[in-house]
Amino acid sequence: MSVWVLATDPDQLEPLVAAGRQAGVEVAVVAVGSRELAEAAAVSGADQVRWIQTHDAVPPEAYAPQVAALARGAGAGARVWLAGNAPAARALLGAAAVAAGAALVGGGLSLAFEGGVVVLDRVILAGAVIETLEAAGKLAVIWESSGAGDAVGGAVGGAVGVPIEEVLAAAAPGAGAGGPAPWDMRREATQVAATAAGLADAPRVVGVGRGLRSRADLVVVEELARALGAEIACSMPLADDLHWFPEERYIGRSGQKIAPRVYLALGIAGEPQHMEGVRNAKVVAAVNNDPGATVFRHATYGIVGDLYEVAPALTRALEHN
Amino acid sequence: MRTIVVYKWARAAASAVVRQGGQVDWGGARLAAGEDDPAALAVAQALATQSGDVAGLTIGDGETAWALARGADAAHAVPALGPLTDNAATAKALASAVRQIAASQAVDVVVIGDATADPGVAAALAAELGWPALLGVTSAAPAGDRVTAARRVGNAIETVSLPTPAVLAVAAVGEEARAPGMMELIKARKKPVAQLTVEAPAEGVSQRATRLPAAAGARLFEGDADTAAQALVAALRGDGLL
Repeated sequence: MSVWVLATDPDQLEPLVAAGRQAGVEVAVVAVGSRELAEAAAVSGADQVRWIQTHDAVPPEAYAPQVAALARGAGAGARVWLAGNAPAARALLGAAAVAAGAALVGGGLSLAFEGGVVVLDRVILAGAVIETLEAAGKLAVIWESSGAGDAVGGAVGGAVGVPIEEVLAAAAPGAGAGGPAPWDMRREATQVAATAAGLADAPRVVGVGRGLRSRADLVVVEELARALGAEIACSMPLADDLHWFPEERYIGRSGQKIAPRVYLALGIAGEPQHMEGVRNAKVVAAVNNDPGATVFRHATYGIVGDLYEVAPALTRALEHN
Repeated sequence: MRTIVVYKWARAAASAVVRQGGQVDWGGARLAAGEDDPAALAVAQALATQSGDVAGLTIGDGETAWALARGADAAHAVPALGPLTDNAATAKALASAVRQIAASQAVDVVVIGDATADPGVAAALAAELGWPALLGVTSAAPAGDRVTAARRVGNAIETVSLPTPAVLAVAAVGEEARAPGMMELIKARKKPVAQLTVEAPAEGVSQRATRLPAAAGARLFEGDADTAAQALVAALRGDGLL
């Protein structure tokens, strides 16, 4: 019984290796990327590391045929495959799941083995519910990245490095060096997306959502941002639909991803699409008049109340201290 | 390019009612257009602009005219297939339908929404078809017999060229620009929808239980607005964050 972890980025290693460790079985990592990624995997607490070296101009998902071959070969004994939520990692996990004949689900939070059955807790309905699934056969899981629910975390302390086994020679497209050829995929360009001045590095950010009723009311948010020394950002509809903000002020899965020390969410429901953009914030504080709003599951601090009353009160509290 | 767009292949989370004990009641909710479906259709149409066409593919009992009302040239439905928990099983069924459509004329690209609730379907669909996949795509254009697709990686925009046939999973960057009007819907409902049959795939997972998450993560400050605001500011100061 073993858990195989697919990683395309060092940030994915810790929660996935920890999940396998907590299930009490052997953990193998398949690192698809640079040598630095493989070296990070070697000290991640995994028992084995296999490395598929990627070419600079080739995205990781081009190596899906290699991952599939591994799932049919050395990884054929793996009972569970895990990957993070990044697009490249998911693409590779899909290839592994189909090659292994595994079931595939998202939202993974914790994993256990009960006799011959794999038991998985996962989030569904944007974190509103924890679902427990059973799998009698192989299972592939995309791990939850937003910290919702009872997510497993924690560093694997004191990990001793393990040897890195390079599965295939560097296989540039068409090189045909061992194993199946990767897909002929090429990165043609990478450009920095437009970012709002100061937002990316701001220590404090006030995010505003549809709880704000009109554009004229933005003055309430601006006064609070001034008192807090914060940049202002927004949820997708306020930029895309209402055009109250330029596109580069929108936070979310397909917008800006920020890591402020404080993110104050005003009138934001907390959809996963939005919260993915602030999952690296140190503290999220939320103001929402719906006590059941999803944002409170992601927040450290919260106030259930009308933002039209709470935002000015916060401004006063900040100015009088 | 001949493109298939997969639409209305899952239930909308908003249709679910969560009971006090954590039970989920879908109340017979039909499959609905996902938040990424309009963006997926827009990408499919962009790929077919110069030449080719867009065929819609939907499963379940939802309104099949959705894609036709938005300009798709044809629509195919697998009505007998319900929502599945196992993304690999969903992908297997979709792949079977794509193969049936491609039997009469080769398909260059399958476009599908990169749904947060079912994040494995697109990749497993590509693997079932034996095609490359690119996920998190925001736009795409044909480039000879290849596709050039853009996606956001961190705070950068990456442009990737990939061979066809391929699967693209599209993440919406905005809401649907313009929904069709009633006349377009009525006209679309009169168009034929090809009915397909696929073998119901076996699911590799079963539900044991559902529950509510542990108490909400947030420490809530109560009282009137000023009292709660002062407590929040004090907490942030106490954490050294202000």
